[in-house]
Amino acid sequence: MAKLILKFEHSVLKEMPVGSKEVSIGRSPENGLVIDNPAVSHYHARVFNEEGRLMLEDFGSMNGTFVNGQRVKMVTLKPGDSVGIGKHTIVVSESRDQDGFASGSGAAKLVAPKINETVMLDTKERREFLQKVAAVGESSQVAPSRLKIATLVVRKGRTDRREYVLNDKLTVVGKSGMATVKLKGWFAPKAAVQITRREDHSYYVGAADKIPSVNGKPILHPTILSPGDIITVSGIELEFVYRD
Amino acid sequence: MALEFGVQSDIGCVRKNNEDSYRTAAEMNLFVLSDGMGGLEAGEVASRLAVDTVLARCREAELNPSLPLIGEHIEGVSGPSNQLASAIRSANDAIYRTAQQGVGQQGMGATIVAVWCSDERMSVAHVGDSRIYRLRGGELDQLTQDHSFVAEQVRQGKMTEQEASTSTMQNVLIRALGIDPTVEVDVSEELLMEADTVLLCSDGLTRELSDAQIAAVLGKSDEPQAAATRLVELAKQAGGGDNVTVIVLRRAAKPVGAIARIGGWFKKSE
Repeated sequence: MAKLILKFEHSVLKEMPVGSKEVSIGRSPENGLVIDNPAVSHYHARVFNEEGRLMLEDFGSMNGTFVNGQRVKMVTLKPGDSVGIGKHTIVVSESRDQDGFASGSGAAKLVAPKINETVMLDTKERREFLQKVAAVGESSQVAPSRLKIATLVVRKGRTDRREYVLNDKLTVVGKSGMATVKLKGWFAPKAAVQITRREDHSYYVGAADKIPSVNGKPILHPTILSPGDIITVSGIELEFVYRD
Repeated sequence: MALEFGVQSDIGCVRKNNEDSYRTAAEMNLFVLSDGMGGLEAGEVASRLAVDTVLARCREAELNPSLPLIGEHIEGVSGPSNQLASAIRSANDAIYRTAQQGVGQQGMGATIVAVWCSDERMSVAHVGDSRIYRLRGGELDQLTQDHSFVAEQVRQGKMTEQEASTSTMQNVLIRALGIDPTVEVDVSEELLMEADTVLLCSDGLTRELSDAQIAAVLGKSDEPQAAATRLVELAKQAGGGDNVTVIVLRRAAKPVGAIARIGGWFKKSE
């Protein structure tokens, strides 16, 4: 009787005989062989006997089932075959306690290939996960992103206006043509700092020609802005606030 | 605006084929890189389709800036940024439809990273876990956030950076091209300054090298091609577990003339 050996990298996680009854493989607990990993579909594949042959069928899984590295839909398995599902490997072996088949050594010699392919989070999980991500993003930004408007208020220095609404994903402070916050004066830098809005509606300030300070602390890497933060650069002071 | 660039792509030390693709269109300052997935030749098909579609759509948009967008208009970004996002949505559609038609290519997908520079404004767009970095004044910053399971767990505070870097789930993506009929594309804009260096890379680089190693190579090399070659060489020395592809761009600094030098003195004295 054949045996399926579930491995992760070099460790054996589980062994399971395959008799006349088929073994279903997947992440759902109803399966005969459960692989708890989000790259594995709920009902991923099955192994069953047909006319004395051991068969493997993939149930149209998201990330596929591989036999000795080849993606398969339905194949006949033989001792020593290595079935790849996500990062897990199932090695096909003959049970020792059964008669005949002297293939044990073949299976033992076979080193499970290191499957490290990029895979997708399974469809159902992915949709739920993406929805959750969107929900978290919105709830953490409830006040600022939807209802209030990110604004820079000039506290000190020569600029063309006193307040700037941060409508764009990129806001440049400087003398450059593409600057929103226009600096005046002969020696004002073309681009002193840049402020960027990320997908989650948070705002980051980063260095351009100059290294700005936020609340008196120089920042070398883009730094997230919170209401009330004071950005100091090239002799001007800008306060980041949310307006109704 | 003068951009210098270098490119290097390598199969790595383990894989049997190179599923990464890239295209460079220096005449329009467009650079695109994609990492395919799906086994057999599907990954190569997907990544090639991704870069070719993006390039073709952007070329069209360059000639006709009012080319109708695929998907919704994104507020607060320029026309080219919207066209770039639209081109990536078009690539998603192309891969998805090919996968639906083709036998044995179900589940094929690809990541994408692209930059398109017009003057000093650089449009940055991506889907998946390929990355874009910028080196400015010796500081390296990642301009893209991976659409991977572990990166999202870190953003939500459910996992530390340390846990993520050793997780067995690093290879699991939550977004890629060609998987669903539509895809959400992340688009941002960055200022491209003189002497800025920008790196586009597949995860074959970032799985092997730390940010500090990447910053050191980018900071040391004068020529973008030398940096690209060196990065790939180091990734292979570190194991080369995956295909590795890099594009290195640099906006040339203006030659320092007398007037610029005087300007420089004033800057220093500020």
